[in-house]
Amino acid sequence: MEQELSPTESLKLIETMIGQAKSSFSRMSIYFLMWGVLLLAAMVTTYLMRDTGGSWAHGAAWGIAGVLGGIASPIIGFRQGKKEHVANPMDRVLGWIWGAFVITMLLMMFSFTGSGRNPGAAITLLTAMPTFLTGQVMRFKPLIFGGLLFWVAGVIMFFSGNDTVIVSVYCISMVFGYIVPGILLKRQEDGLRTA
Amino acid sequence: MAFAPLDPVLHNQLRLAIVSLLVGVDSADFNFLLDKTGATRGNLSVQITKLKDAGYVAVKKTFKDNYPNTRCSLSPKGLKAFESYVQAIKDYFVPAEG
Repeated sequence: MEQELSPTESLKLIETMIGQAKSSFSRMSIYFLMWGVLLLAAMVTTYLMRDTGGSWAHGAAWGIAGVLGGIASPIIGFRQGKKEHVANPMDRVLGWIWGAFVITMLLMMFSFTGSGRNPGAAITLLTAMPTFLTGQVMRFKPLIFGGLLFWVAGVIMFFSGNDTVIVSVYCISMVFGYIVPGILLKRQEDGLRTA
Repeated sequence: MAFAPLDPVLHNQLRLAIVSLLVGVDSADFNFLLDKTGATRGNLSVQITKLKDAGYVAVKKTFKDNYPNTRCSLSPKGLKAFESYVQAIKDYFVPAEG
C-alpha cells in the first residue's frame, strides 16, 4: 500500500474504507435468537397451561423469560464489549433505541396489567419499531421484514378475540421476526468474521 | 486553474485508508485496522505513528485480556485535514473555467 495515488484512486479508497467501517456492527444475532426463543417458549407455556395453574402460572412463564433474558443480555453485552475491535457510532444509536424500547415496554406492562388489561398486542406493536429500525440501520432486510411482521401481528392480536389465533400469530411473528433473522444475522456475522 | 497541494501526510495509500476507516467510527483497535487495510503489522505501526506525530490520530495504549491493545481515534485536527484533502481531491474533477 505504498504506490502513488491518483485522485480517482484516492476517492475510491476513501469510499471503500468508510463503507467497511460503517458496516462493522457489534454482534446482535445472539439477542434476537435468545429473546425469540425465550418469548416463544413463554407464550407456548402460557397457552398450554391456560386451563391449569391459575393466573399466577400465566405470569410465571413471562416472568421467568424476562428475568433470564434480563440477566443474560447485559452479561452478553459486557463480554462482547470487551472483545469488540471497533466502536461504531451506529451501535450507540441502536443501543439507545433498544434501551428506550425496554423502558417503554416495562411501563406499558405495568400500566396494562395494573389496569387489568393484556399488554400482549400493544407490546407486539411496540416491538415492531426497534426491530424495523435496527434492520434499516444495519441494512438487513430480514429484520426490516420482522419489524413489518410485528406491526401486522400486533394489529391482528389487538382485534382478535380468539386465544388460538392470538397465540399462533404471536408465535409466527416471533419465529419470523426474531429467530429466523437472528439465524441469518449470525450467519452473516460469522461470514464477516472469517472473511 | 491551479490545484491546491495535497496534504502529504494523507496522500499515502495506507495512511489515507487508516484515516478513512477512523472517520466512520468512534475508535478502532490495531487489529481492526490491520484486518481492513490488509497491511503488515510493521507498516501499519509506522504509518499510525506518522499520523499520531502529525496530530491527526489519537493513540491510546491499554491492556485487553492481558495483551497490549492499541486503540486509535481521529482527532479534530485529523478530521479537518481529511475534509480539506477530500475537497482538494474533488477540485481535480472540476472542469477548468475559460
